[in-house]
Amino acid sequence: MFKYKSSKDTGAKSWVYQRITGIVLVVFAIGHYILMHYQPESGKTYEAVFARMQFGWYRIIDLTFVTLGLYHGLNGVWGIFRDYDLKPGTKITVISILVIFGLAFLFWAYYIVFSIPYGKPMP
Amino acid sequence: MAEKINHKIKTFDQKEWIKTNLSYQKDSGSWAWILHRISGIALIAYLFLHIWSLSPLTQGKAAFEQKMATYSGTFFSLIEWFLFAFVLFHALNGVRIVIVDWADGARYHKQLYLYTWVIGILLFLAMGFVMFSHILKF
Repeated sequence: MFKYKSSKDTGAKSWVYQRITGIVLVVFAIGHYILMHYQPESGKTYEAVFARMQFGWYRIIDLTFVTLGLYHGLNGVWGIFRDYDLKPGTKITVISILVIFGLAFLFWAYYIVFSIPYGKPMP
Repeated sequence: MAEKINHKIKTFDQKEWIKTNLSYQKDSGSWAWILHRISGIALIAYLFLHIWSLSPLTQGKAAFEQKMATYSGTFFSLIEWFLFAFVLFHALNGVRIVIVDWADGARYHKQLYLYTWVIGILLFLAMGFVMFSHILKF
């Protein structure tokens, strides 16, 4: 059914994006680990999360981090599937599942960040 | 003639693919590829889990801290520490891949693989100190 629907995309752009997002994520992931663990309570109390989320730039960094992480991760999963000779119908099914899961969790993550009050006293 | 050539081609047995793959001789690059793939799958799985586990933030302090209480304690701290090993391998081997692709690293990729392990183990131990110095009161 999808015999002639295959994309002519060679994957060259996604290869470049995978490297660029990867380099950014190296810095973000290691930085995130240090920030979340140098104080035992920094990742686990509501006060600490609330205090961080009062900085607009911190929200921007967190949203960028989760966006790049999901893109890089799911593009990587697609890269694994591309190693196998899949039928066009299977390809479209796999891509659809990855995109739907990716977008759902991306918007969930955004919703979580924006649900934390900004510029107001802690509830 | 054609028969002779075909005879030399190693046919790929779909049923025995794990066995076939394991039978290949593995150099540092093969191990880097295998470990990069395993750590990558683990990290994307963790990212989904991470978003789910932080979702009680939408319900305020009590719900969040009740959830976080589950993840406190030495056992989960140890798991978090070992997760950092996956992060480090994937990050440092990722840097190695970028150097191989963009900075002529194919000429010295074996040394880079060694650095991946040396720097990785050092940073892993450093993170262990950061995470557990509070518990062990150094």
